[in-house]
Amino acid sequence: MAQTLRLTLERPLPRPAQSWTWTPRLWLAVLPVLLIFGPLLPGLYWALAPAFDAEVWQALWLDAQWPQALRATMISSVLSTVLACAIAALLATLHYPGRLWTRLQRRLPLLLSVPHAAFAVGMFFLIAPSGWMARATAQFLQWTSPPDWVTVQDPYGLSLTLALAIKESWFLLWVLAAVLGEQAVSRQMVMGRSLGYSRTQTWALILWPQLLPRLVWPVMAVFAYGLSVVDMAVILGPSTPPTLAVLIWHWLTDPDPMFQARGSAASLVLLAVLLVCAAGARGLGWLWIRRRPYPSGQRTPASNWRWFKLHSLLFATGYAVVAVLLLWSVAQGWFFPALLPDAVSLASWQQADWTPFWTTLWLALAACLLCLPAVLLWLEWGPKRLNALLYLPLIVPALPLVAGQYAVLLQTQLDGTAVALVWSHLLWVLPYMVLTLIGPYRAFDARLMTSARALGNSPWRACLSVKWPMLLRPILATLAVGFAVSVAQYLPTLFAGGGRFVTVTTEAVALSAGGNRRVLAVQALLQIALPLAAFGLAAAAGHWLGRHRTGLR
Amino acid sequence: MKHSTLTAIAVTLSVVTGAHADWAQTQNEAKGQTVYFNAWGGSEATNAYIAWAVKEAKARYGIDVRHVKITDSAEVVKRVQTEVAAGRTTEGSIDLTWVNGENFRNLKNGGLLFGPWAQSLPNWGLVDLNKPVRTDFSVPTDGYESPWGTAQLTFITDSAKTPAPPRSATELLAFAKANPGRVSYPKPPDFHGTTFVKQLLLELTPDKAVLQQAVTPAAFASATQPLWAYLDQLHPSLWRNGKTFATSAAEMHRMLGDGELKLSITFNPNEAANLIASKQLPSTATSFGFTGGTIGNVHFVAIPVNARAKAGAQVFANFLLSAEAQTRKADVTVWGDGTVLDVAKLPAASQALLRKTAPGALAEAVPTLPEPHASWVEALEAEWLKHYGSR
Repeated sequence: MAQTLRLTLERPLPRPAQSWTWTPRLWLAVLPVLLIFGPLLPGLYWALAPAFDAEVWQALWLDAQWPQALRATMISSVLSTVLACAIAALLATLHYPGRLWTRLQRRLPLLLSVPHAAFAVGMFFLIAPSGWMARATAQFLQWTSPPDWVTVQDPYGLSLTLALAIKESWFLLWVLAAVLGEQAVSRQMVMGRSLGYSRTQTWALILWPQLLPRLVWPVMAVFAYGLSVVDMAVILGPSTPPTLAVLIWHWLTDPDPMFQARGSAASLVLLAVLLVCAAGARGLGWLWIRRRPYPSGQRTPASNWRWFKLHSLLFATGYAVVAVLLLWSVAQGWFFPALLPDAVSLASWQQADWTPFWTTLWLALAACLLCLPAVLLWLEWGPKRLNALLYLPLIVPALPLVAGQYAVLLQTQLDGTAVALVWSHLLWVLPYMVLTLIGPYRAFDARLMTSARALGNSPWRACLSVKWPMLLRPILATLAVGFAVSVAQYLPTLFAGGGRFVTVTTEAVALSAGGNRRVLAVQALLQIALPLAAFGLAAAAGHWLGRHRTGLR
Repeated sequence: MKHSTLTAIAVTLSVVTGAHADWAQTQNEAKGQTVYFNAWGGSEATNAYIAWAVKEAKARYGIDVRHVKITDSAEVVKRVQTEVAAGRTTEGSIDLTWVNGENFRNLKNGGLLFGPWAQSLPNWGLVDLNKPVRTDFSVPTDGYESPWGTAQLTFITDSAKTPAPPRSATELLAFAKANPGRVSYPKPPDFHGTTFVKQLLLELTPDKAVLQQAVTPAAFASATQPLWAYLDQLHPSLWRNGKTFATSAAEMHRMLGDGELKLSITFNPNEAANLIASKQLPSTATSFGFTGGTIGNVHFVAIPVNARAKAGAQVFANFLLSAEAQTRKADVTVWGDGTVLDVAKLPAASQALLRKTAPGALAEAVPTLPEPHASWVEALEAEWLKHYGSR
């Protein structure tokens, strides 16, 4: 697993076999990770133990809501993953290599920084029966009241599926862009084309068979996310019954221990679904490779599908989401079927509650700044073979993990404290930061370190004065990623924070059930603004700090 | 019933003697304490009012109150239960909570409440004892919670589009059939949704007296049979054919504003006025009640048994019960929540403020119907979910 994961974003370089002596530096690298992951083991036991009771499973089986909740979850997670993969694959096949692909790559970070909850809120404003699209249609069809259509919160979770698919396709495109940026891949494309194969053929015969295994883990992360997403599902998903993840969340927070046990059991079901689906996909992949005929060598003419403007649709959705949020945040009276607000004012911004913003800011700063030394130490001296363990939180549904964290905090009476809240975020912030930095870190020219050591520097000094300063730009980008991940956390904030800490994310989700769209839009925009500012600052700071060093720019 | 009245009197008597002498000490103890006040945070008007009270408490009593916004009071029950079960009997995370009905019953029956304390508050003397402030959904409060405000189920409609709204359960059914897809209610166990179902139950059940007793399976079956028959008829004409429900009353207000629904419900007779003022409803929105009356109740604040800042919580609760805080709360431009105080006992200025009204607020007199016994709530919610929770 470690091997495959490492392959996802970087080229493996042959490394000398590592010796396993427990040096103080190794301890230093492992200790922070142990602090973040270690307490989970007893926590998971406490949280999941109630599920090991036949009666609980029987009650779950007989629960009236659970079959449909499972159906909605299966549809939204499987279909959204398939759709996201299809969108990303189609765009790559059509446009790589090319100018459009480069442009796409440049615009991606902007879209990626829109958090899930804010995106869901914007989608809701767009596609709801009283949303912008229906209002636009109403202008032509003379509607006076919204159509009785089921465009959001539909029983099958299709609107949730659509939103997830679009959001995750951006993530997959970003992963693809990283992989496709490699020299080897682009050379193979040139080779394929020069032998007379069309772009599509080269993709199908040469690139995809090689890239697919490397995309397994990112796709798995997308699927696991879809399985246990709660914030988006509360906003866009069905309500009678909700998706399984939301139902589990309700059960886990129910006063009745019987329901809590049912929640534990159901979160084990989520885990099982993940494993079964992953095994199924693996089997299909194996079959596909087995059955694939040996290429006939026949050259097909290039089919020109490039008129297909999928990318415009994808970006237009992203921009429309932000636009409709901006409009609502300044709208006064704005009732159906008006396409634009009657009047605009900054009242909603002036009256906005900024507490969630400041809470999110210090929380995310603390999380990413605490993680940075842990990430650097781990990458420098940590046991490389255990990287896979670090990525587990990304490919496992979040619900059982959050329940485990909460159980630990309850036992230690730390729940509802700032320390607990920051700690709970680290479990997701750390892996994402490692994932972001590992590529540039491994690509770092080892000869520079050898020279530094040869000149008499200790390993510490060599890192502090040569390696880390040279990696400044990727390190800043990593900090921004960590910051963004923390901003987007919903479940850990809710559980570990004990409701005492309100972030822009929890506030946006809480307000989505309320009626005032202006207040909701303001919080959703603040949620977008934070990561966007972090990415912008990281880029600007990197540029400024490297202004006298061409190589670092 | 008689027994509980006697208990209440005994509690009052025992508490009154020497209680006021202790108050100064309680106030001293409260100074500098941090009070975590877990209260539903789903309405900006309510949150803004609590923010004002927090500021006042800091200035007047040196208490640091933190409003912990929650979405459902059941979370509080669970939290206190978990904490106590985990052996955390003194350093609890909640000091004061906004509660009533089945959540109060669960807390009280579970021995999870501190008390009795409410009737020894200095401002208890101002409370209107003719309002049901000593029972909570037919469960005696016994001084374990202090009244905060009154509420009554009220309907909102847009008078420009719906000049003649329904005035009873029967009329509502006809109205829904005439306007398919334009009526809904929040999905129980949402507080407003459950209250709406209870309202229907009160109107439809043959023997209302049964509802004031603790629920039994036999009583439940016979009392609720007409309700399920009614809902079976109503649901096909509801928004999305009754397969999905609005998630909250606030969402219904929004849908009413857009014309997606023709009716919305609230537990605050003044809420429509607030919503018009904040441009969330058109100025033609208006409030009304059922001719036969609608459910009304009192909401309270209670202190968990493992609260850290019990003194601070009491001083804050006493402030919430003061003439000034109650008058401000009743102001339709602030929150518009009904007072629990006896208006005759208040100064003239407060009385004038309490009579202020605004366009959109409930302007007619609607009889108040008593809440069913708290034990009915869980039974109703469970049965509702079984019938309609997964269609």
